[in-house]
Amino acid sequence: MSAKVAVLVFPGTNSEAETVRICRDVGLDAEIVHWSKAASLPTYDAYILPGGFAYEDRIRAGAISAHDPMMDYVIDAAEKGKLVMGICNGAQILLEAGLVPGTGAVRKPTAAFTRNAPSGKFICKHVHIKLTGDPSRCAITAALPSEAVIPAWAAHGEGRLAASMEHLEQISSGGHLAFVYSHSDGTVNAAAAPNGSALGCAGLTNKKGNVLAIMPHPERDAWNFNHPERVDGKDILAPSGGAAFFRAFAKALS
Amino acid sequence: MRPDELRRIAEGLGREPTVVELYAFDAQWSEHCSYKSSRHLLKQLPTTGPNVVLGPGEDAGILHLGEHNGERYGVVIAHESHNHPSQVVPFEGAATGVGGIVRDVLCMGAEVIALADCLRFGNVDDPNSHQRYVAQQVVDGIAAYGNAIGVPNIAGDVYFDEGFNDNCLVNVIALGLVKESEIIHSRAAEGSAGWDIVLVGKATDASGFGGASFSSLTLEEDNQEANKSAVQVPDPFLKNVIMRASYRVFEYLREKKITAGFKDLGAGGIMGCTAELCGAGGYGAIIDLDDVNVAVENLPPEVIAVGETQERLCWVLPGDVTADVLRIYNEEFSLPEIARGARATVIGAVQAEKRYVMRHGSEIVMDVPIDFLTGAPSTGVRIANAAQDDKVGAAQDGKVGEDALLTQTLSDINNCSREPLYKEYDSVVRGMTVTPRGYADAGVIAPIPGAPLGVALGVGESVIEAVRKVVAVGARPIGLTDCLNFGNPNNEEHFAQLVSAVAMLSEEAKTLGLPFVSGNVSLYNESASRTAIPFSPIIGCVGVIDNVGKVVTPALKHPNSPLYLIGAHEAGSSLRPENKRIAAILEAIGGRLILSIRAIGSDGILAAAAQMAFASGNDFGVEFNDEMARGARYHGWLIEASEAAAFEAFASRKLSGDDWHRIGLTTVADIDGEVDIASGGQSWDLDELCTAWRKPLAEIYA
Repeated sequence: MSAKVAVLVFPGTNSEAETVRICRDVGLDAEIVHWSKAASLPTYDAYILPGGFAYEDRIRAGAISAHDPMMDYVIDAAEKGKLVMGICNGAQILLEAGLVPGTGAVRKPTAAFTRNAPSGKFICKHVHIKLTGDPSRCAITAALPSEAVIPAWAAHGEGRLAASMEHLEQISSGGHLAFVYSHSDGTVNAAAAPNGSALGCAGLTNKKGNVLAIMPHPERDAWNFNHPERVDGKDILAPSGGAAFFRAFAKALS
Repeated sequence: MRPDELRRIAEGLGREPTVVELYAFDAQWSEHCSYKSSRHLLKQLPTTGPNVVLGPGEDAGILHLGEHNGERYGVVIAHESHNHPSQVVPFEGAATGVGGIVRDVLCMGAEVIALADCLRFGNVDDPNSHQRYVAQQVVDGIAAYGNAIGVPNIAGDVYFDEGFNDNCLVNVIALGLVKESEIIHSRAAEGSAGWDIVLVGKATDASGFGGASFSSLTLEEDNQEANKSAVQVPDPFLKNVIMRASYRVFEYLREKKITAGFKDLGAGGIMGCTAELCGAGGYGAIIDLDDVNVAVENLPPEVIAVGETQERLCWVLPGDVTADVLRIYNEEFSLPEIARGARATVIGAVQAEKRYVMRHGSEIVMDVPIDFLTGAPSTGVRIANAAQDDKVGAAQDGKVGEDALLTQTLSDINNCSREPLYKEYDSVVRGMTVTPRGYADAGVIAPIPGAPLGVALGVGESVIEAVRKVVAVGARPIGLTDCLNFGNPNNEEHFAQLVSAVAMLSEEAKTLGLPFVSGNVSLYNESASRTAIPFSPIIGCVGVIDNVGKVVTPALKHPNSPLYLIGAHEAGSSLRPENKRIAAILEAIGGRLILSIRAIGSDGILAAAAQMAFASGNDFGVEFNDEMARGARYHGWLIEASEAAAFEAFASRKLSGDDWHRIGLTTVADIDGEVDIASGGQSWDLDELCTAWRKPLAEIYA
């Protein structure tokens, strides 16, 4: 039986439909769980917090949502070792909830995704993210090849990792840096990050490796038709690079 | 309101109007709501055809998109201007423009799937000018709203001209997807006498009071403060939730097999919306203003009745489902917790008697024949001399590609890269985007999960420009929408411009066999000094592509590919051959004879080639071997063909000899690693051109 995945909708979430679509495509039993149905959350095997502007990004993206009652269930599930993934706004929420990098207490964030630099503005750009370190460091990426490069869309105003030197050091030494921005050939340099993110960070995991927060959207480069460098003759409705990320997630749940 | 209109109201009612009635007629009979100066002109536009599911008349038009799994799908399209508000309060004005157009599409029972924005700004050279501020804030406002509600922005254009210094143009287009069997109409359904009128959304406040008449006035400097209060306050966060709650209500009503009426609240507020909703169904209405959820106490009845508070919609529902619909909005989607005072609430009922009645406290504050209220008298048919030699819009203003000046052409503010602006727009949310903003001449999405069917949207200052962009991605044009942005219609010259522009649009559309299914007219775009804008018809064209795998982009694909022009040197000598050219291009794209293509703009052939090279990441350059690349404006497309013999055999079968020319080939880096555009002994390094092309807007939208 396929795993039951809850795709959480907070007031202001906007990427729930495409997230459910790709999850179902890779064989997961995914459904939208709306904030008014929070009490049903414990019945799910895993959780995805999708993109959007929950609670209008007031204070800082994810800061209010981290205190939404839905997060009580998510925090509880993460502590029990269930898989939790946040994409874009979902990633911001996981940082604000203190679940990733998880080097502090719950809801006492030690790092945050903050306003892009240098523009300070929302940016919509096709990017690639590269898996750093041992894929099995995080359960969700365990099925990916080492140094996997995943195509995705960055679409955020607050995607720049910021933390104190001490906490950045903990992120590096503790193996929390799951993904960095890269070029399509896997080259990593400052130009690859669209937002000035510290450590070139595109994704973070927690100590146990059961929670993953990634800023760009692999679900928006999930089929050949929405990959910008389409290859002639490929089945246009077949999965593209972004789907590999979700296949790894499904594998972790199988 | 004019004195003769006031007399007409008193005569029609047989008494002097009440204060609320006066405001109601002022809004309902404004140009904005009634199109009183343009109505008779708009009748010239073709509005019918085999693709038309719903022509103009409701909140949005609908075109037949195609079938999937035995279900017929329609693409909903609406087009609106928010020019006046954007000039006064640019961020909020532009954001509420997006908010309004999204509601027009939503209320047809559709999922909102795409946005486009067409912008015209003044001279922005001075970093401290109001024009620069407007140009920046409008873009931020569109981004903030569209991104938050999660609708991808896939097409648009922007031009700059001094003529827009006092009047920017902010036109927005929204697309929706609906099963043709599930369309919800903007009218009270048959047999709906006694049904509930349910207001949904933000609590009514004093914002946007007088908006309908404000947009039908010339902007006066000294009225800036009063004008500001006529602009509404956007709340995309609430709208995000209202959209999702409404999708849930659509589902519920389908299960219950209920034919409801649904309409957006725009200019004219509760009064305008409910009067049109009920009037269009052949009914009257009784509204109880005391039942309206208000944000502040003691609002005067006229403000509750006609104020344009944003983020509101209205349902006409049979009483036995009302409680369930209220529960969806108020409990499942908890509107009252999302925004203070927001909710769905019953504010009145449909009545068989065709009178429009409003109660406030113990008083009847309005009681008028509904058809009289919604049937503004036309200002009459006026004959105008055709305008001669007028500049249409701003696009024509870009410097035409003089060969020696290619760098200057590409770095002209009207030709340079638009990326610094549109990168603020989420172009890929919903995960259905095929060509995001900037990737091709038209935006393409694949809106039906599991189906290869695509919708393309292209924009332009003429029908043919928008059509050519849609054709350039390989999509078959199926219909049009227009927004006519003009000066004061009471000025003979400006009115003549409107008359001749409508005649031109009509001729173009008829020749190409395309219907207009929605549109908007924005008049009075002039400043206190009576300077009118360069008159600007803005056209959106919707196209269909059966398989998005066949979409082509402008990015050059291979070295040594032959390049061709398809089109003509003279503008509009006759559009008849255009149908043949369009058919040939679509067939060639379908048969994969075309690798890349771009509709040639007013910046000329060389600039088109340069931009196709930029799109390839400067991997490929172009060498022209024909004088045709130089000088005069060309009306058509620049094409990279896969193979000369096959393409030429095809072209000679399908096109007359004058319609196509081989003009060069694609190149790669020379031994110094440089990739060039070369023509007639001159050459330009692509990296240098690209730097110049990227610079101007990068400075403004830093």
